[in-house]
Amino acid sequence: MEKKYSIKKDFSMIAILIIPIAVAVNFVGGQLASLLKLPMYLDTIGTIFAAMLCGPWVGATAGVLTNVVTGIANPVNFAFIPVNLLVGLVTGYLARGNMFSVWWKWILSMFIMAIVSIASAAPIVVLVYGGVTGGGTSLITATAMAAGVNIWAAVIGTEGIFTVLDRIISFVISWLVIRVIPDRTLVKFGCGNLYIKKKKQEAPAEVK
Amino acid sequence: MWREKLQIHKSNWIAALHPSCKFLVVCLYSFCALLLASFKVGEGEYSLYTIAWFVIVPALAIGSGIIKRFWNAFTKVLLVAVVIIVVQSLLIPGGDTVAQLWILKVREEGLRSAIYLGFSVMNIAGIFVWFFQTTENKEISCALEDSGTNYKVTYVFISTLQMIEILGQNSKTIMNAQQARGVETQGNIVVRTRAFFASLVPLILGAITGTEERVLTLESKGFDVNCKKSRLFQIEKTGREKMVNTIAIAITVAIVGWRVALWIL
Repeated sequence: MEKKYSIKKDFSMIAILIIPIAVAVNFVGGQLASLLKLPMYLDTIGTIFAAMLCGPWVGATAGVLTNVVTGIANPVNFAFIPVNLLVGLVTGYLARGNMFSVWWKWILSMFIMAIVSIASAAPIVVLVYGGVTGGGTSLITATAMAAGVNIWAAVIGTEGIFTVLDRIISFVISWLVIRVIPDRTLVKFGCGNLYIKKKKQEAPAEVK
Repeated sequence: MWREKLQIHKSNWIAALHPSCKFLVVCLYSFCALLLASFKVGEGEYSLYTIAWFVIVPALAIGSGIIKRFWNAFTKVLLVAVVIIVVQSLLIPGGDTVAQLWILKVREEGLRSAIYLGFSVMNIAGIFVWFFQTTENKEISCALEDSGTNYKVTYVFISTLQMIEILGQNSKTIMNAQQARGVETQGNIVVRTRAFFASLVPLILGAITGTEERVLTLESKGFDVNCKKSRLFQIEKTGREKMVNTIAIAITVAIVGWRVALWIL
């Protein structure tokens, strides 16, 4: 039976409580990544996780709220609200489309997620900040620009590699967490049933 | 430790303005900043008015008596703006050379875009820094609720700010515990990535298992009940909101009029 979704139903009690966690995970993930000196932002893990569990609109809300909250400390982040909004939406719709069930679908989904992020982030970086934002990848971008590379190519090239890696790690972490959440908890989430079915399909194979 | 503040009294009247009034000022200021940036001045056609417009942000910060806190928060914005200005002025070719230092040349077009982007970012981000440094998060959520926002939205906002603090502390605990078990946090990138996994997965799981309990708590306290919620916290108005709003709107109208006049003439 096809499950029906509505935006109002998406925001159930548990989804409302997941949003703050998702934002905090984004925040802590970003801090941890810079603490461990990883060359990626890794600040969308919570958004991806919330979108995978509770659907696109909860994910999008978590994404927007992340940038609003980090924007309070540094308003430069406000400009990137659309990027995180799209991360949540796209991941959520991919989850609903059952695109996280088989390994080749994973790879496809990760590339879709990365492409959407780059396509939405690049115009903001180029048009609002002129190609550099003072982040870790800015130095590479600036060097490429100095070497005469077109600004769009420089931004998309450097951001692209790191965004793909970023999405792979974020997705794997979300997946690892979802796999160990017990079924009785999973079923309370909007998209949780998608991950339960898979476990049940595996179970009989082991019995045989 | 996080402690509930029941009431906020501010001695400075600019800082004490109602959040909605300050927000109007922020919006109009940003709009004017973008409009002024489109004015091209003088031979070089640089948007010089936007530099002059920026005087208002520090002036407001001093007037609100928060210059120290403002400066601490603003340094992050300043860093981005300086990077933008340097990169833009050095890397964009085109036009005559304005200044030259060894092999570094500042060209006209680069300088034009450096001023335009750098000061637009400083203007808009700066006024937001002022807003958030003079307004407590509680006041924002209270003002949002007064203006008709659903209480669930403001709950999520406030609870997010608390959750960041809680998970931040938890992550430190988990990192220490993992280090004690022998998970390496230093070394090559693969080792560090593994440490990242080892700290983040337990953190998220712990938070998720906690939500079920929180759902029960909130439901038992009648969070879902449809009725008017009573609140301990109230925002006060200073009585000067109308005056500030009028001044802000008047300045905006004047600048829009000036811009339109320049277009027509």
